Amino acid sequence: MNDIREDIAWAKINKDVLKSLENPRKLFWVILLIAIAAVGVAVGCEVYQYTVGLGVANFSNPHVWGLYIATFIFWIGMSHSGTLLSAILHLMHADWRKPIYRFAEAMTTFSLMTAGLFVAVHLGRVWQIYYALPYPNGRQVWPNFQSPLLWDAMAIFTYLSSSILFLYVGMIPDLAICRDNMNPGWRRKLYTVLALGWEGTDRQWRNFRVTYLTIACFLIPLAVSVHSIVASDFAMSQQPGWHITSFPPYFVAGALYSGCAAIITLFIILRYVFKFEEYMTLPILKKIVRLTFAIAMVWTYLNLIEYAAVWYGHDQASKDVLIQKMVGPYAPFWWTMNICGSVVPFIMFFKRFQTHIPVLFAVSLLLNLGMWLERWMIVAPTFSHGYYPWTWDHDQWPSLVQWGIVFGSFGWFTLLFMVFCKVFPSVSMYEVKEMVYHRSQATKKLEATGKLAASGKGAH
Amino acid sequence: MNSGSIKQLKKPLAIRLGEQTVLAKSLVMAEHPFDRRDFLKVLGWGGAAVALSGCGNGSVEDGKETVVSYVETNDYMIPSISVYFNSTCTQCDAGCSITGRIREGRVLKLEGNPDSTINRGKTCGLGQAGVQHHYNPDRVREPLLRTGDSGEAITWEKAYALIAEKMKDVSGEEIAFLSGGVSGHLKVLLGNYLDSFRSKNHFVYEAIAPAVMRAANKKSYGVEMPRFNISKAKVVLSFGADFLGAWVSPVHFSQQYAQFRKGDEDGQRGVLVQIESKMTLTGANADRWLVVRPGTEGILALGIINALGAAGLRLSGDVAGAVKGYDKARVSKDTGVSAEQIDKIVALLKARTPSLVLAGSAAEGYAHGSQNAAAINLLNQVLGNVGKTVEAAEVVPFPQMAPTTGNTAALKKLNDGLAAGKYKVLFSYAANPVFTAPGAMKFKDNLAKAGFKVVFAHYLDETALQADLVLPLDSALEDWGTQVPEYLATCAQINIQQPLMEKLHANTDGKGTRGMGDILLTLLKQRRAEEYKGFADYYAYLRGALLKNKVALGGHKVDDDTFWNETLSKGIIKLEGHVSALSSRSGTAGLSLPSPAAIDAQYPLQLIPSVNASLRDGRHTNQPWLQESPDPLTTIVWDSWVEIHPRKAAELGIEEGDIVEVTGKNGSVKVQAYLFPGIHPDAISIPLGRGHEALGRYAKGYGVNPFQILDAVFDKETGELALHETRVKVSKTGSRVIVVKDEGPVGGRQMGKKIAARLPSDKVKLSEEI
Amino acid sequence: MSVTSLLENYSEFRHFHPVDDVPHNPYKWAMSIDLDACSGCNACSVACYAENNLPVVGREGFAHGQAMHWMRIERYWDEDGREFPDQGAQFLPMMCQQCEAAPCETVCPVGATNHTPDGINSQIYNRCIGSRYCSANCPYKVRYFNWYDYPTTDNVWPAEMNQQLNPDVTVRGKGVMEKCTFCIQRVTVAKNNAKNEGRLIHDGDVQTACQQACPTSAISFGNLVDPESKVYKQWKAQQVELDKDAQIKDKEEGGSELRGYRIFEELRPYPSVMYLERVRESAV
Repeated sequence: MNDIREDIAWAKINKDVLKSLENPRKLFWVILLIAIAAVGVAVGCEVYQYTVGLGVANFSNPHVWGLYIATFIFWIGMSHSGTLLSAILHLMHADWRKPIYRFAEAMTTFSLMTAGLFVAVHLGRVWQIYYALPYPNGRQVWPNFQSPLLWDAMAIFTYLSSSILFLYVGMIPDLAICRDNMNPGWRRKLYTVLALGWEGTDRQWRNFRVTYLTIACFLIPLAVSVHSIVASDFAMSQQPGWHITSFPPYFVAGALYSGCAAIITLFIILRYVFKFEEYMTLPILKKIVRLTFAIAMVWTYLNLIEYAAVWYGHDQASKDVLIQKMVGPYAPFWWTMNICGSVVPFIMFFKRFQTHIPVLFAVSLLLNLGMWLERWMIVAPTFSHGYYPWTWDHDQWPSLVQWGIVFGSFGWFTLLFMVFCKVFPSVSMYEVKEMVYHRSQATKKLEATGKLAASGKGAH
Repeated sequence: MNSGSIKQLKKPLAIRLGEQTVLAKSLVMAEHPFDRRDFLKVLGWGGAAVALSGCGNGSVEDGKETVVSYVETNDYMIPSISVYFNSTCTQCDAGCSITGRIREGRVLKLEGNPDSTINRGKTCGLGQAGVQHHYNPDRVREPLLRTGDSGEAITWEKAYALIAEKMKDVSGEEIAFLSGGVSGHLKVLLGNYLDSFRSKNHFVYEAIAPAVMRAANKKSYGVEMPRFNISKAKVVLSFGADFLGAWVSPVHFSQQYAQFRKGDEDGQRGVLVQIESKMTLTGANADRWLVVRPGTEGILALGIINALGAAGLRLSGDVAGAVKGYDKARVSKDTGVSAEQIDKIVALLKARTPSLVLAGSAAEGYAHGSQNAAAINLLNQVLGNVGKTVEAAEVVPFPQMAPTTGNTAALKKLNDGLAAGKYKVLFSYAANPVFTAPGAMKFKDNLAKAGFKVVFAHYLDETALQADLVLPLDSALEDWGTQVPEYLATCAQINIQQPLMEKLHANTDGKGTRGMGDILLTLLKQRRAEEYKGFADYYAYLRGALLKNKVALGGHKVDDDTFWNETLSKGIIKLEGHVSALSSRSGTAGLSLPSPAAIDAQYPLQLIPSVNASLRDGRHTNQPWLQESPDPLTTIVWDSWVEIHPRKAAELGIEEGDIVEVTGKNGSVKVQAYLFPGIHPDAISIPLGRGHEALGRYAKGYGVNPFQILDAVFDKETGELALHETRVKVSKTGSRVIVVKDEGPVGGRQMGKKIAARLPSDKVKLSEEI
Repeated sequence: MSVTSLLENYSEFRHFHPVDDVPHNPYKWAMSIDLDACSGCNACSVACYAENNLPVVGREGFAHGQAMHWMRIERYWDEDGREFPDQGAQFLPMMCQQCEAAPCETVCPVGATNHTPDGINSQIYNRCIGSRYCSANCPYKVRYFNWYDYPTTDNVWPAEMNQQLNPDVTVRGKGVMEKCTFCIQRVTVAKNNAKNEGRLIHDGDVQTACQQACPTSAISFGNLVDPESKVYKQWKAQQVELDKDAQIKDKEEGGSELRGYRIFEELRPYPSVMYLERVRESAV
């Protein structure tokens, strides 16, 4: 089966994609409503927490971090899939990425935006958040450049701005198509402005290609560094369970993993909601699934490495934290995380499930549940079982406020994402056209040389 | 705010200074219609045998200009600069001298006064919280007259008139004055007031006073309160005396304890052995903590004497006779302390001298408490400690000023009188019997039988709520006074109490708070106007009184003003007191100890109401620092708990946090369980002080009050309430809470880390340390 | 303001533990706490509440672990499985250890917690944004966060009670971290007084609130640079050196006979509080 029908007319591509901006299935509105409701819950919780104080989230001394930080890492992790699909696969000339990279990039941007909110939600004095910026001031007061949290802030900010740029630049030719095909109205005005006068001249295409490639090259190290730096928040600290050398690659792998799982989820949703069956085909899904499975194995490997490193290391305190995770009050979550992260992916190993949409939908959600739990299991047990036994706690259950904000963040992400897909083409028209063209050219070439049959058999 | 308070302060100060001149004039007037003897009695120096010059009275501290009298503070009130005044802590009766830090007219913090021989500059947590008593938002601010179920604010004028009216036709027999322990000039005025009615009904009541010990000491040593020289002792054997926590004078003893541990004299570290049924703070600091079956402390003491005799210590004939039969096997069986352990103690007591044996409230809270105490005191005598570590204390040479110490026998007497409907007017000051009387006494019901009840109160406590008239008192930091502590350290002293700031709830519209001294003075003027007309207020009275006896108080070389200011500046008047030698009679006469009581099938457990160093009998529970200060042993805050030994708890299927019902013959309480290894398995313990139904926002509704379920059992000899004699049973209610405490879920374990480390004494060379 | 000045001064941006080339001078505040004297009575903790405007969080707050006791008394039992604690308990006053290489300092994103030239680990409430990273990285867990706005919370400092607040100490609002400061307000006063007299602080000029209250005088506080100070002498006598992560005396065979030790020395925070081990009588 082919990744995409090679005989789709270019006009049909335009028509199908533009249609997604007009009349999605009803499910779209249902999702949107749920998302808005969830955001409403989170806003309510945050207003309450902001007014009364962080105590309502039920943190304690010394259990000072909770779901906010865990969910923050989760969203940062999610953002990596877009970069993976767009930039890495772009450089690797994997053209099956073309119908799906746009929404993956959007995912990157919006999950970063969601993650950024958690920084604000987490801070005790969010109104002073600008203290963390190295802005010049008369008193020569600088932020502390030694703090991983500062690196974090900077890395995320850079990553966010770059990925917005990347998303936008990649969208310009499509915006021009939208501009040219839309009825007059606010949308057309919007597209006109955003398309920056794109006419599709050779010069424009040449510059566009160079720019896009440059940003892609720039973005890849950023993506790797961002999650490595988030890992540094923990690895650079002195706490048992955090002070682990393998954390940066482990975090990056986990990020790619959860990002890919999320792509599967969104792939399935978008395909249905925006009637993209022609473009988001099952063979492409199969490729993503296989990629996800591979990353799952990498993550599992790194995860086991981490356990082994702790287990065979000399640091008794770290070992205690690990034992605590296995048998203590967090054990149900820890085991769920390991099962979701390392066992559930084996479903994807079986060919018949690689294109089985209901199963994959469930699997992808389970994978992300596992990855979210992973982050929580990194953050919380160290607090409840650190160096100092007197302050150990085992009852630090997050309050409804904390859960509400975490829950709402999914709504916020979904809201942004869904609105984006409704307003902007979530399948890249020009790249799909390219793909269809390249594929058909290749087929023609093979037919012409009569090697189709041979290659079909996979002779070499 | 700041400048405002300064202004506020200046005016009353000016008035004060004006009053001084008036007073000076009035003292010059020689036309008092009563003779000198009466005059001395009025002022509190009556009965003085000798008037010696003070011991250790130096000059005003040189160069310490910040320590000045309150009445001269105008010049010192500089914004942002703190000034310090000396006064006396009234949070408990130990009589520690304090130095208040005052800034912009507000008292901010209390520190110990280094000049006091009692506390030598140190304070306890309870003392630190004194400012929260003063600034407490739940203080009573105006006189309240009961109308039906509510109180109506009235003026003092009206209140006094009301009292005068009520007192018009009553005889001395029909008046009852209930108070906590009082001393100094307040006691003088109180005594004189009752005297004016020829009333002898002064009931001095302290809910948790060492009254049994006083009586036993009187018998054994000839004085009620000798000096216990812990720092000199090489071994301290304490039978439930929580001298680091809440016993007698804990701050003083804590310092002695530190010296005892360091072995200040010869570098030999003192050894503390604590024998009790429920671990106290002192027990937690012991080298050897021995759990003893409740009530068998006396048997163990006699057993130790017996074993000492067997080990070669020469016992006098009557002692040998008294301890005969208390052989190790029997004692070990009765008390639960192993014979091997007794041997170790005996060896220790023989090897290291001098030792000191203390009898604390835990040993005395039984029907045979006096016997226990006598047996323990006998051990001191046998060991030859009397005169060495048990020494005669100096006594303030003015009997009229000496403390009247409270006890629970007084409460019983009052209660009986109330039950018989004997009293038409009842006064209550510094006591909260409705809260602290055992439920079995039905004190609240009996109180209702009194005709007119006047309660002098800081808070609307349980007793004040029953009153017909509530008179609001100044806090200890706003009031004047003199005090003589019951336990004097190295030198007899009179403590001066003076205001550290202006009254918070000043006298506006004739309402507001007033000092107890002022109130008594006014009441006395109703009776003996002539004698007291010279004193505008209690301040004038105190000043007049102290100046009158200036020479005896060490001020013979200076003029009145200087003496007065010096006195206030120091906050202490040190005196050369009386020393009456100890009589070391071995009190074996009448010494008979009952065998341990058989276990009651219905009520198998002994209830030990424990005394927390901060909350004591519950009068300070409304000070939030104390509520939030974790109990040292369980680290529980803001609530009551019942301590159960883990073994017993396992038997009963109780886990930490289970709400259990503790039922005795006189009621029950529901309280959270805490598994505590430091308690006898046949005993449980609930701390006193919590479970208020009134008092204030920080006290009301927190915890339970074990006083309520106490049986009315009394010590056979002294008539004191036997606090530890209540037997109870414990049953699970099925509900459960998370115990609010500082300790984490791993409890007191260090998990193999070196956090609180320790070394055996034979490895350490303390004498080489700094 | 320039980046150049930042780079030029970067080496002084944070003061590391006293390496030989930058020793503390003239002050290095340190403590020693004698656990054999400490009776666990809690007076120090209450004194700290009084001195440092610590809010009372109430039953609910305490239940949620939000207590603000800068100085907490920990009570440990022997772990030998005996039925009764017949050797008593062990008490340990625990507060900020004022580490020389404080783990909390490096991680603060805004530099709100710093080392003073006196060797105190300072907390700048105004600068704190409440990331709580410092607490996360503190091995002793002695940092306390203002989960609520305690000054405006009911019954924390109601009318009149607020008059007790120490004007020398900031009342912290919601969202900032706080911890033991070694009573820096008292140190500052003593420093200024000494400066006015043209001298350095003598030993005993300044006492921390906990030290002043402590009925058994278990706490000593002073200048570790001053050879005349008690703390200096104690550290010296116990052979505990500030800038070591393992003391030479502990390497002796059979362990040291000296009582001085620092908690979690091996993590290399170089704490400024030395504890003296509790002594247990071997004869009984």
